[in-house]
Amino acid sequence: MIALHPAAVFAEASVEGRVTLPKPAHPPVMNQRYGIISHEGVLSPYPPLAVVYLEGTFATTPPQKPAQMVQRELNFFPNILPIVVGTKVEFPNQDDVYHNIFSYSPAKRFDLGRYRSDERPIPSEVFDVAGMVTLRCDIHEHMRAIILVLDTPHYVLTDPEGVFTLKGLPPGKYVLKAWVDSRTTLEKPVELTDGPALHVDFP
Amino acid sequence: MSATRDQGDDGIARFRTRLLAAMMVLVSAAAVSMLILTQRNVATSVRRDFQRDFESQLASLQAVQEVRHAVIAERCRQLARKPRIHAALEDGALDLLYPSARDELVDATNSDEGAFREPGAYALRARYYRFLDGKGRVIAPPNAKDVGDLGAADESRLSTGQLPDRPQIGYIRRDLGGDGHMVDELIAMPIVSSESGEPIAAIVLGFKPPALGGSAASGVSGGIWLDGHLDFPTLADEARSDLETRLAPAIAESDGDHGHFEFSSGKDSFLVFFKRLNPLSPYPPAFEVSVLSLAESLAQQHRLAWEFASVGALVLGFAFLASHILSRRLSMPVERLAVDSKEHREHWHRAEAALESTSQELQRSARFSADASHQLKTPVTVLRAGLEELLAGENLRPEAREEVSALVHQTFRLASVVEDLLLLSRMDAGRLQIQLSSINLTPLFEALMDDVGAMPDLFDLDIDADVPPALWVKGEKGYVSLILQNLLENARKYNLTKGKIRIAAIEDEGWAVISIGNTGPAIPKASQEHIFERFHRGAVGENVPGHGIGLNLARELARLHGGDLRLSKSDDSWTEFELRLLLAPAPAPKKGAT
Repeated sequence: MIALHPAAVFAEASVEGRVTLPKPAHPPVMNQRYGIISHEGVLSPYPPLAVVYLEGTFATTPPQKPAQMVQRELNFFPNILPIVVGTKVEFPNQDDVYHNIFSYSPAKRFDLGRYRSDERPIPSEVFDVAGMVTLRCDIHEHMRAIILVLDTPHYVLTDPEGVFTLKGLPPGKYVLKAWVDSRTTLEKPVELTDGPALHVDFP
Repeated sequence: MSATRDQGDDGIARFRTRLLAAMMVLVSAAAVSMLILTQRNVATSVRRDFQRDFESQLASLQAVQEVRHAVIAERCRQLARKPRIHAALEDGALDLLYPSARDELVDATNSDEGAFREPGAYALRARYYRFLDGKGRVIAPPNAKDVGDLGAADESRLSTGQLPDRPQIGYIRRDLGGDGHMVDELIAMPIVSSESGEPIAAIVLGFKPPALGGSAASGVSGGIWLDGHLDFPTLADEARSDLETRLAPAIAESDGDHGHFEFSSGKDSFLVFFKRLNPLSPYPPAFEVSVLSLAESLAQQHRLAWEFASVGALVLGFAFLASHILSRRLSMPVERLAVDSKEHREHWHRAEAALESTSQELQRSARFSADASHQLKTPVTVLRAGLEELLAGENLRPEAREEVSALVHQTFRLASVVEDLLLLSRMDAGRLQIQLSSINLTPLFEALMDDVGAMPDLFDLDIDADVPPALWVKGEKGYVSLILQNLLENARKYNLTKGKIRIAAIEDEGWAVISIGNTGPAIPKASQEHIFERFHRGAVGENVPGHGIGLNLARELARLHGGDLRLSKSDDSWTEFELRLLLAPAPAPKKGAT
C-alpha cells in the first residue's frame, strides 16, 4: 500500500487558506450552547466552522484511540466531529441524566439506547461508511451533532475565522473541499508540490 | 198596584244584574288580561330559561370537547416532536418512520396490550394513525396492522391536500359493510421541521368521536352531521331521518358555523342546535347536532297553563263574589231611589189624572159658557129689536102692548145673563185682562144707590150706607162696579118686606173691607159652602128671579183683583157678605176726575 504512494512517504506538501464562513442567519435563539443550529433545513455549526479536507485516493488507517463525542450539559461536544472512515467513536454521558444517542442517517444508523454516565464500557460505534451522520438524542430533542465520516486522513477544522492549514500532504493533483454546512461543500482543484504552502481561499 | 210593584222589582233586579254583569265583565277582563299577560311572560321566561339551560349545557359540553381536543392536540404535538420521527423524516429514513412511530405511539393507539383501563383514557386512544408527506398524501405504512386497519379508499380520505400549519380536526364516515358505518374523529397534526420551521409532514390520528350530547336525564342528546348523513344513535330512526332532511337546508342557510331551529317529528318537538365541529378545516365540514326534547318544556308549560287556569278560575270566583256583594251594596241606594221615585210617580200620575179631568171639565164648561153666550147674545138683541118695533107699532091693543113691554123687559134680563156668562167664560179661558188703577169706591156706591132707588121697590127696603167720603182701591172700575152691583142686587132680591140693607166700608191693614148685609132668611148651613158655585141658587129663593151666577161672578172678579169675597154671616135675621179689595193710594192729580 505504501509503495503505491511514494509521495506520501517522502515528500510533504501543505495548503493553507481561509474559508469564508457564512454569517449565521441568526444566533441560536434558545440556548447559546447549541452546537448545531438548523436554518431553513440546513444544519450548521455554531459558531460557524468548516471542515477542510483533501479528496483523493488515500490509504486510510483508523486511529487506534477512539474518538469521543461527549454529552455534557445536554449538548454534544464537539458539535462537529470529522473522522476518518473506520474510526470508533465513544459517546460518554457526562450529564446526570439519561441520554439516548441515535442516528437515522443513511451513512450510519444506530441506537445506543438509554444509558447513564456510569455505563461501562462507554457506548461506542464504528463509522465505516463515509458521509454525514446526524446525531440526535431521543430524550433531548434539541441535541444535535454532526459526525463527518471522511474517506481521507487529510482533514482539518478551521478556526472560528475560517483559517486553516493542512500539512503533510502528498504532492499531486487533488480536489480540496470545504464542508461548510449540511448542504454546502465547497471544492477547489489543487496541485500540491513540495515547497511553500499553497494558498487556497474558499470560495 | 201589585203588578206595578212586580214590574218595579223586576227593574231593580235587572239593574242589579246589569251592574253585576258590568262589574264582572270589568273584573274578568282585568283579571283575564293580567293572567294572560303573566302567563305569557312566565311562559316566555320558562322557554328562555329552558333555552339558556340548554345553551349553557351545550357550552359546558363544548368546553369539555375543547379540553379534549386540546389534550389530544397536545398529545399529537408531543408525538410530532419526537426526535425519532423527526430523524426519520429529516434524515432520509422514511422506512423507519412507522416503526419509530409504533414505539412512540404504543400507548396512544387502541391496542389491548398494556392499555391501562382508566375511564376516559380510551377516548384518547387512536383507532389508527397515518403520516402524510410533504404534499399531504398518506405515506403508506409497511404493515397496516401496526397502525390500525383502514381501507384504501378511507385511507385516501385522510389526506389534507396542502399540509396544514396547525392542528386540524376532521371527521370521516366509514362504511363497515352492510348498513353499518362508523364515524371517526381525525386530528391532523403538522410535523414541523426543526431545521426549516416548515411543516414537512403530518400525522393523522383517528379517534372514536366523543359521545356527543349530555346525559339522558338532561334531555339533551347529540349526534354528528357529516356528508349529508346524520349519525344520532339516541334518536329514533324516523325522527333521525326527518332531522337529516331538515338539517341540510338549515346548515346551508346558516353562516356555515352554527344555528338553531325548532323541529318536530311525529308528536315530539325538539330544539335543535348545530355547530361546526371543524371550522376552517381542510376536511369536509362536520356539525355537532344537539337536540333537546321539548317534551319536558311543553309539559312544564302545560302544567303552568293549568295552574294559571285554576288560579284564574279562583280569581274569577272571588271576583264574582266581590262583584256580587259590591253590586248589591251599590245598587241599594238606587233601589231606594227607585222605590221612592215610583211612589212619587204614582202620586204624580194620580194628581195629573185628576188635574186632567178637572181641566177637561173646566174647559168643557168654559167652552159651553162661551158658546152659549155667543149663541144667545145675537138672538136676544134681534128679539128685543123685534119686540120694540112691535111696541112702536100703531095697531097694538093695550093688553098686548103691556105683554110686549114685559117681554122687552125680559130681554134685558136675558142680555144681562148672557153678558155675565160671557164674562165668566172669558175669565175661565184666562182671556179676561183687567187694567188695575186707583178707583174711588164712594162715587160708585152713590151711583149704585141711585140705580137701586130707580128700580121698582118690591119690598119697601131701607138702605143704609156707611161709606167714608173717599175710599181708593185697586181695580177696574167697570168690574168693581159689577161686583158691588151684584152684591147689592143679591141683598135686594133675598130680602124681606120692609127689610133692611146695610152697606159699610172701612180700611183695614191695606184692605178696603166692604160689607153688604141684608135681612132675610138664613142660608142653610149645607148650602153655605155652595153659594159661590156657578149656577147655584139658594133653596129658599125658588121664586126669586136670578140665574145663579151673580155670586160666582162677583167672587171670581174679586179674586181677579187680588181680593176676595166671602159670606161673613148668615143667621135667621141677617145675611152679610164681606168684600175685600186692595187699598190704593189716592191719586192726587186725578182726585177730581174720578
